[in-house]
Amino acid sequence: MKLGNRLDYGWRLLGTGFSFACFGLGGVLLSLSLFPLIRLVSPDKDTTRRRIQRAMHHTFRLFLWQMTTLGVISYEVSGRERLAQQGRLIVANHPSLIDVVLLIAVLPEVDCIVKQALWRNPFLRWPVAWADYIPNNGSAEQLVESAAANLRAGRSLIVFPEGTRTVPGQPLNMQRGAARIALAAQVEVLPVTIVCQPTTLTKAEPWYRIPPRRGHWRLVVGEPLPASEYTPADLPEALAARRLTQHFVNYFSHSVSGIMQQTAADAAAATPTCTMP
Amino acid sequence: MDSKEEIHNRLKQVLIELFAIEPAKITPEADLYQDLGIDSIDAIDLLLRLKELTGKKIQPETFKHVRKVADVTEAIHALGLSEAAAGSAAPLA
Repeated sequence: MKLGNRLDYGWRLLGTGFSFACFGLGGVLLSLSLFPLIRLVSPDKDTTRRRIQRAMHHTFRLFLWQMTTLGVISYEVSGRERLAQQGRLIVANHPSLIDVVLLIAVLPEVDCIVKQALWRNPFLRWPVAWADYIPNNGSAEQLVESAAANLRAGRSLIVFPEGTRTVPGQPLNMQRGAARIALAAQVEVLPVTIVCQPTTLTKAEPWYRIPPRRGHWRLVVGEPLPASEYTPADLPEALAARRLTQHFVNYFSHSVSGIMQQTAADAAAATPTCTMP
Repeated sequence: MDSKEEIHNRLKQVLIELFAIEPAKITPEADLYQDLGIDSIDAIDLLLRLKELTGKKIQPETFKHVRKVADVTEAIHALGLSEAAAGSAAPLA
């Protein structure tokens, strides 16, 4: 490795470690200061929820600003204008650890589904409750019901149908919960494709296994899709959920490989080739 | 009283109709979750449909222990038996 590359690698490793420490520590500090303060000065539950969600949004933006400024990551968002409308189910693929951070950073007010471990965390359990995020505590039926009710009330929700991070190199495997929520709520689904190149912070690697060059994330917001297209009157909902989930798998597989090819083509175009005059 | 075979065949129809599962896959030994790809929300749909068909309520607690197609058949069969037992006990009360 050249000296310049080694320095870059060392800098990014330090920056990544520092960022993760800030994220953990920041979470604790905010849970003891800003978030309780917001809770204290907000007149009702709904105002609290909106303010806490907005505070999370700004916190995550700040965190991403730090990571991009340190040169640890870079990211770009296309189709951002489609994110403005509320009351949509935002469905995304899940390649990396920071996907939810990226999504909340581009969505000022949004619900998400939070795993059981966070509801038991002594610090974070309060902010996630005040944000009125949806707990994933075992009952799938209850989860679908409360998610659908919130969507119908005009709130937006982020769901990763994969349920966990993508296993690199494997075909996408999606659960049907997201489709069930869309069908129960009868709202529009807004697909967001997330691609990170070179891959990093995947399910297969710890945070310190950083890529040879800075990871670049692309978020591509697709066209909204009405869930009603998947519910002809005579179709059992279980079958509709299967069809919609298959649609998600096809859509994201296609979209991910399309974005990767585009990136490769851009890189090739940027590299000058030697041609004979 | 329906035989277990009749129950199995009706259950098979329900699984095909609700979830479009390949008929050949639906054997008594097939695991609902692993082999037939049913998830926890599907299981609730299945319970509702079975209730409609049999007119009897299968307790969700009973269903928690259900893994194989044969277990469902068994549960429906047992419901029929308890009904029959309740019926024969009734005149005595």
